[in-house]
Amino acid sequence: MKPTKGQVNVLGLDPLRDKWKLRNKIGYMPQSPALYDDLSAKNNIMFFGEAQNVSDLEKKTDAMLAFTELTSRANDLVRSFSGGMKKRVSLCCALIHQPRIVFLDEPTAAIDPHLKLQSWKLFRELAKTGVTLFLSTHLMDEALLCDEVAILSNGQIIALDTPQKLLARGKTILNYSENGESKQCTMDSTPESLARVLHQLGLNQNITAISLNPSTIESIVLDMLREKEESTNKQ
Amino acid sequence: MKTFTIAKRILKQLQGDKKYLTLSIIAPLIIIYFLKLFFDSFPPTVPISTFTIPIGALIVHFLSFLLCAILVVQERTRGTLERMLIGGYRRPSIIGGYTIGYLGLATIQATAVLFESLWLFNLDYTGQILFLLFMVIWLLAIVSVMLGIFVSTFAQNEGHVFPFIPLIILPSIFLTGLIIDSDTLPDWAAFIGKCLPLHYAVNIIRELIKPEYTFQNTLIDFAVLLGYIFLLWILASFTLKDTTS
Repeated sequence: MKPTKGQVNVLGLDPLRDKWKLRNKIGYMPQSPALYDDLSAKNNIMFFGEAQNVSDLEKKTDAMLAFTELTSRANDLVRSFSGGMKKRVSLCCALIHQPRIVFLDEPTAAIDPHLKLQSWKLFRELAKTGVTLFLSTHLMDEALLCDEVAILSNGQIIALDTPQKLLARGKTILNYSENGESKQCTMDSTPESLARVLHQLGLNQNITAISLNPSTIESIVLDMLREKEESTNKQ
Repeated sequence: MKTFTIAKRILKQLQGDKKYLTLSIIAPLIIIYFLKLFFDSFPPTVPISTFTIPIGALIVHFLSFLLCAILVVQERTRGTLERMLIGGYRRPSIIGGYTIGYLGLATIQATAVLFESLWLFNLDYTGQILFLLFMVIWLLAIVSVMLGIFVSTFAQNEGHVFPFIPLIILPSIFLTGLIIDSDTLPDWAAFIGKCLPLHYAVNIIRELIKPEYTFQNTLIDFAVLLGYIFLLWILASFTLKDTTS
């Protein structure tokens, strides 16, 4: 993609002028494993490490394999690996040169819950070391695990916020029974709104049950996309 | 340096894929044997020796071109080519690495084809001529590998490589002087033949097997083959695409 105007600065570098320097600081994990099936896990990682002239490559490869709990399968051909294991090898390839920014394209798609949990533990550990992770996902519950979420529609960012603030954009439905009659009231999804509504209701003895139906992140995003579509149609 | 890393990886992959490796070496040997059966049915007046080595060169040319084109397309569809480019490998290094890596296989193919032809057809040449014959087939194999990489740019999947066979390989059989002298063809057909690398390889081989061979007679043809390598390397470096879109 060629820029038409403006300037971009990534880690103090110009992506056009310092393309190769910048590639050294960026890691990329594609959606498909993009590995050589007829090479071992270790050889795959070392091959991508050599592209970045990584020093002590073998030592760092072993450390990466240990980090992703693949040491015992290091010398096995990738062809014999499960989908989840291939994803972990792919992650090692993206991280072997210790990048400052990592792009992960649907890293937990089609993997089992245990591995998903393990992957998120890894991502969190990486983030703690100062690495910035960009993670693309269609799984909204997973997006909530990030520090910041950007919602994209037709290549444009339509919302950029913390998961808490995004959730707060939704509405919560409060269902309650009063004198045997089912009632409902809609409020903002904040603890303060809940307190306000309860104050209004007085929480008297007649209120025998309260349940909350907060908006899910999926419904919030769908509302945003709908609003965006409507505003585009109006224009 | 990174060129050799890629070449090393390709050699490791070839080493790991025994079935592919065996087939790539055995297939040309079987074809040469069929060629022997075919030529045995000819009357003894037909100068078979002028066809044998050029056809051997065609087999190496065809196989190197086809296998390399398919493998580069596979790299692209699997996403490893994109990953290599994002990861810091540059296009000229990738092409160089591929060429060196597959050259190992092409060297084995060229040697096997040459020696089987000599044995089956009872051909006898001096050591120097044998070395030069090997060099021609070897140079043609490099051209074929680069041509394969270049052609892979126009293919979105492995199946898209096959239409290039009638476009590149079949005209090579009919228009390059392999079967009939290209000077007897209409000018336009002879011109197409002269654009194909096999034409120059066939010219050199035919000169080499003449008793009065002198290196000067083949100098231009050798230079053209080297020029092809340089030109295709540049072209492929500019056109090699990382994604299928």
